[in-house]
Amino acid sequence: MKQLATISLKFANQNLVFTNQRALFLETENALVLSDLHIGKSATFRKNGIPISQSVLIEDLQRLKALIDHFKAEKLIIVGDLFHAEFNTDIDYFKDWLLQFDNLKLQLIIGNHDRLSATLYEDLNIDIFKPSLKLDPFTFVHDLNECEDDAFYISGHIHPGYVLKGKGKQFIKLPCYQVFDNHIVLPAFSKFTGLNTNKTDKKNTNIVFTEDAIFKI
Amino acid sequence: MSKFKNSTGYKIIENWMHQNDWQPFDFQYTTWSKYYTKHSGLVVAPTGFGKTFSVFLAVVIDYLNHPEAYKKGLKLIWVSPLRSLAKDLAKAMTNAVEDIGLDWQIEVRNGDTPTNIKRKQERLMPDVLITTPETLHLMFSQKKNSRWFKHLNCIAVDEWHELLGNKRGVLTELAIARLKQLSPKLQIWGITATIGNLDEAQQVLMPYKDLKTIQIKAKLKKKIDIISVLPDQVETLPWAGHLGRTMSSKIIPIIYENTTTLIFTNTRNQSELWYQIILEEAPDLAGLIAIHHGSIDKKQRNFIEDAIASGILKAVICTSSLDLGVDFKPVDCVIQIGSVKGIARFLQRAGRSGHSPFETSKIYFVPTHSLQLIEVAAVKEAVKQQQIETRSPIVLAYDVLVQFLVTLAVGEGFKKDEIFKILQQTHAYSYLTEDDFNWAIHFITKGGNTLSSYEEFHKVILDTDGLFKVKSRRIAMLHRMNIGTIVSDAMLMVKFFSGGYIGMIEEFFISKLKKGDAFVLAGRVLQLKQIKDMTALVTLSKSKKAITPSWKGGSLPLTSYLTHFLRLKLSDALLAKTSEKELKFLRPLLQRQNKASQIPKANQFLVELITTKDGFHLFMYPFEGRLVNEIFAALMAYRISKFKPLTFSIACNDYGFELLSDQELPLDKAKIHQILSVENLMEDVVASINASEMASRKFRDIAVIAGLVVQSQPGQRKTNKSLQSSSGLIFRVLEENEPSNLLIRQAYAEVFNQELEEVRLREAFNRIKNSEIIIKHSKSFTPLSFPLKVDGLRGTMTNEDLQKRIERIKKQMLKFEA
Repeated sequence: MKQLATISLKFANQNLVFTNQRALFLETENALVLSDLHIGKSATFRKNGIPISQSVLIEDLQRLKALIDHFKAEKLIIVGDLFHAEFNTDIDYFKDWLLQFDNLKLQLIIGNHDRLSATLYEDLNIDIFKPSLKLDPFTFVHDLNECEDDAFYISGHIHPGYVLKGKGKQFIKLPCYQVFDNHIVLPAFSKFTGLNTNKTDKKNTNIVFTEDAIFKI
Repeated sequence: MSKFKNSTGYKIIENWMHQNDWQPFDFQYTTWSKYYTKHSGLVVAPTGFGKTFSVFLAVVIDYLNHPEAYKKGLKLIWVSPLRSLAKDLAKAMTNAVEDIGLDWQIEVRNGDTPTNIKRKQERLMPDVLITTPETLHLMFSQKKNSRWFKHLNCIAVDEWHELLGNKRGVLTELAIARLKQLSPKLQIWGITATIGNLDEAQQVLMPYKDLKTIQIKAKLKKKIDIISVLPDQVETLPWAGHLGRTMSSKIIPIIYENTTTLIFTNTRNQSELWYQIILEEAPDLAGLIAIHHGSIDKKQRNFIEDAIASGILKAVICTSSLDLGVDFKPVDCVIQIGSVKGIARFLQRAGRSGHSPFETSKIYFVPTHSLQLIEVAAVKEAVKQQQIETRSPIVLAYDVLVQFLVTLAVGEGFKKDEIFKILQQTHAYSYLTEDDFNWAIHFITKGGNTLSSYEEFHKVILDTDGLFKVKSRRIAMLHRMNIGTIVSDAMLMVKFFSGGYIGMIEEFFISKLKKGDAFVLAGRVLQLKQIKDMTALVTLSKSKKAITPSWKGGSLPLTSYLTHFLRLKLSDALLAKTSEKELKFLRPLLQRQNKASQIPKANQFLVELITTKDGFHLFMYPFEGRLVNEIFAALMAYRISKFKPLTFSIACNDYGFELLSDQELPLDKAKIHQILSVENLMEDVVASINASEMASRKFRDIAVIAGLVVQSQPGQRKTNKSLQSSSGLIFRVLEENEPSNLLIRQAYAEVFNQELEEVRLREAFNRIKNSEIIIKHSKSFTPLSFPLKVDGLRGTMTNEDLQKRIERIKKQMLKFEA
């Protein structure tokens, strides 16, 4: 793994470790929480005549493995869009990759891209939840539209990014976590995804990261 | 010659001309007689002199002489870069053949043609087809398309100068190559306006050795009146400024004096602003003026164009959207607001007025700041000397090559060796190596080098019959949607909630707006209500504060031809004998420059070192256009920071640039000579800029043309959602995994040729090497430096790494917020 950088913050009395590797670690559950892996995206492109190498998937999964080893995580909570589209060779690769873990539990909140048949999830031993998974004090959903006041949400879907602006028309676009009063939006885990830098309507802080650093803005 | 004169065909045409009381121009007659002797060629003629009939009637005469040499179906393909001209062309041609008594079908086929008409044409092609390069390639992607072209006699490429300098020109070259393969006796004709490299233009269009070729120049010259609009005093005109609003009182009388005036601005943003200004200044013109630019609904644009043609409008504020196109008879005056940018462009715009052969074109030039008056003096000189910009043809565009190969594979399939030979005969690919060609084949069949990583990639397949083909219907469909080389930003349609379409706007702009924000489009203030399926729904707004979108790609740099004359004009601006009104007018300002610093002569290079409370400024004036000046500035900053690490703020305009630092610059005479050295030029340039970032930007068009990015169409639902990605993302993935990819290499090559303008930059440094370097110190800004101070495009140059940059920007941001 490239240089790991983290920030720990408390939400609802729980410690969350934000990493610059596009996932956060939830200590009480001993779980990595991540979103938007889009496995199968590169193969979908290939099938449609756009040559994108499988190495984008391989790199994503190497990073995930390094995170699992580092935190000794026992569980992955994936808040949607684990798979990109239809069944393809990328998913075969993912299947083989999963075999190396003896006791890794996978919990998936179904996202708008996850349209594969239930038998596949069963086959891969993934527990699926729709529309949300509650693990007090957190509620995990894919795309948050409405929220109740007493809950704390963790979601994905929008692939948030942040534009750092400096003097003289300088700007840098970086992925980020968006943190609201009772809601966190995760960055997309896959690097083969775009960034959505539209501003939010509500006030929030952003936890922005690069290859070797992470900081709050 | 007399043989032609006595031919049946010519007799018929002569007779017809006689009845219509019409005398052919010399160049028309020459074209006809050369076509008769089986020549191909290039006709050089200004618009309005019947250039269409030069080539068109040549084919008609030939047909009348040898009807047996013509088969049923397509005889002539007429390629025109502009869709808007097609209908009028077809009408003019149809009228002529009907009058002559020929039963030819003349039809249009382009993106606007309804499907049922297209299907009808596919069953039986008309005798003459007026089309675009893109549509021709689309036809190549259809099944059994070669039968349509087998008996084609002639391909004519109209407005060739418009295609030559860009990738559409490459599409045209490729189309001709294939048509010539299908119909080996094909005669190739081009029609062009005057450009600086006519011989090259001809060679690119018809590089085939078996052709007899000729260049036919019309000896007719268009008379042009160039009139500078001057304010009452030189002080009224700002040294720098954006809009020149103060000049509006001079513009309105011009509108009233003339029948119809086209007012050209350089950007869409300025056209929207000027529309408002003119309405405010002259409210009674409401309803008599209109606004026309590329983002306005096509139907509305057509409506405006019709209104111009019928003389209803007094004035139209427009952008390059009206540079070309149908001739408007009532237009008797043109106004150019702001920098003229280039000689050919200025003349093109002037030519939109006084369109008939022997009328005079009249163009008023309205400067928005003082120095632009020198530009117009430069244009006048260039016109006098008949110097016009060249248009350099594009070579080795791998993106277009990949697209063409897939197009053929979608259509009838291709044989590898055969197509390689055809490509090598074209100008664009005459230097294509076998290795590079094999790479392209590998790229469309295997995807990339690590085969195991591209398992499901089967875009193009080598079939059992030895032909490369696309078998997947979906890939074929995606490819057909993507044919062409015009890449636009993702655009949204702007529609009223109640229905009614206003225009198009960049997704980039709209995504920065929030619901309820007001913005200006097509001269109307609109409020954003909702975005749905690539459509922005709006209502009219009464808001006084509205954002005028600044569309991307707005400002062109000055061309090198123009800057050459600009330096000359400036050089003798202070000579007493000059009678030029612009220079005379500017004299007080120029004298001030000469007193405070110096007016650089043609053999001098001016450097100004100015110290103010802001810090230490270095100004240099290469007069090379904004793009080259930007590179020049970055290079100077890089070379200075080798003496001492410094962070600079950089400002650029078309004339020069400024480097500003908060610390004293370590420069003396020797060091200034050293940083202006031509040695290690390109090495230092590459070290001074972020080439990867620039290449990534260039890759945007390449990715679309080569089919790596699926474009979404405005107003449509995103049908290919699972294939959405940005070219930046793909650039990164390819650069990491397939660094030898030729499309990546092409992106860098385009940066060097188009952004860094290596040739022009090198020439500039060589010129400086042979110039006297003048170094002036000052405590206040000079007339030349002031515009850079207030409105040069600003950037920052630094050698810091990303992390440090972020740290610094963060600090700056905190300061802003505090």
